[in-house]
Amino acid sequence: MRVIANMNVCQGHARCEDLCPEVFSTDAIEGKVVIEQPEFPPELEEKVRMAVRNCPEGALRIAKGTGV
Amino acid sequence: MSFYPQSPVHIPSELVLDFDFFDVPADVSDPVQIWHGLVRRGAPPIFYTPRNGGHWVFLRYSDIAEAYRNHEIFSTHKAQIPPLEPYPVLQPNGVDPPQHDVFRKILAPMFTPLAVRRMTDGLQHRAEGLVSGFAAKSGCDFVKEYAAKFPTGTFLELFGLPEERLPEFLRISDTFFRSTDPDIRAANLLEIFEVLEALFREKERNPGSDIASTVVQSRDADGNPFPWTDIINCGFLLFVAGLDTVTNTMAYVWRYLATSPDARQKFRDRLDDPSAFLLAIEELMRINAVSNIYRRVTHDCEFKGVQFRRNDRVVLPNTVANRDQSVFKEPQTIDLDRKVNNHVTFGLGPHRCIGSHLAKREIMISLQEWLRQIPEFELDPDQDAESVFGGPVMGFTSLKLRW
Ligand code: SF4
Repeated sequence: MRVIANMNVCQGHARCEDLCPEVFSTDAIEGKVVIEQPEFPPELEEKVRMAVRNCPEGALRIAKGTGV
Repeated sequence: MSFYPQSPVHIPSELVLDFDFFDVPADVSDPVQIWHGLVRRGAPPIFYTPRNGGHWVFLRYSDIAEAYRNHEIFSTHKAQIPPLEPYPVLQPNGVDPPQHDVFRKILAPMFTPLAVRRMTDGLQHRAEGLVSGFAAKSGCDFVKEYAAKFPTGTFLELFGLPEERLPEFLRISDTFFRSTDPDIRAANLLEIFEVLEALFREKERNPGSDIASTVVQSRDADGNPFPWTDIINCGFLLFVAGLDTVTNTMAYVWRYLATSPDARQKFRDRLDDPSAFLLAIEELMRINAVSNIYRRVTHDCEFKGVQFRRNDRVVLPNTVANRDQSVFKEPQTIDLDRKVNNHVTFGLGPHRCIGSHLAKREIMISLQEWLRQIPEFELDPDQDAESVFGGPVMGFTSLKLRW
């Protein structure tokens, strides 16, 4: 599974980074999301889902498979 | 008979309510309740009040979220309530994209999670010093002795100003946020701008690594300095935005903890688990949203079936959005383990509070340090009368705790 961010929508709340730092961080210039591990391992699925659900802007999405 | 202003004719009478959000009735001990009282009374989700120059109030999470994101209708430019002219155009928050992005980009790197993590030692040191100043006593006025001093001290540090100026800044901010006398307010505004002027001039001559120096040294796309007024107004924004909001959020948080032994215990249990601590702080951010945000309508239009006129003012009460049951499970319950928590305490969209990471860290470190030194505390039964206030930021002028 793969997680994708809509960078036009992300406003840098960093909730994703707080909830799942293994997969998400934020950059040093604008503080927007950086996806460190787009194809995350299954043991992180629950944490990634929580990050997706807690993004106040709805910027994150999980896609099945490895494509876009 | 009390004076009751008329509402404009384009507004149907069923959407008009008499509501003054600056006024907290004597029997209300928590200003947040004036907003939740509206919801309980069944106020329309979008209504108009003729008070304070006349303005709209949104009560649904979804409408508030949409308004935050739609700056084409709901502008931040000159949105004061009651309307105030002239009022400085705060940079960047008083302008909309794309102009908004210019100063936002200057400030952003200084407020990212990464930048805020680097401030941790300074915040920790400040919290430790303040708490140890009264921990050995049996109580304190939390607002005066901690919640007002902590963010103001942080502001001085970020602006490269010496700690000795704390009393002066406490005085000017107290007048700015609390005085209702028009003459005192006008003189205070002049004083703030004089202080900022002197500060930025000094940083221009002797730049350091602080925020004021960075702002004054920034250049536009052509390599030219920014207009001096914009620089000063950016300093003013940081002054206005970072002091009272943090102070009052802290007052709410400590007021709650003083009355909830369970919550104190839960936080004490998490002192060595920063992510669990942060999750619980997030819930306190949701339930204690102190800001009621202003917007101004840019053109005559219809939104959600309601007719708006150009220059109509709108209030977006974050506390109401944060307890909307269509978004939050059992919204009135404080659940320190709440899993899904899309609160709007820091706003949404392009104007989202840039200081949110700093604010959260200030509160988190303060709470950790407090609980280490003062693990148990409660409300002093002898509270000052009339210490609550409403308005754009709600809170308490005093909160006495004892232990
Ligand atoms: S939580 Fe959402 S808005 Fe915030 S940084 Fe992550 S993706 Fe961006």
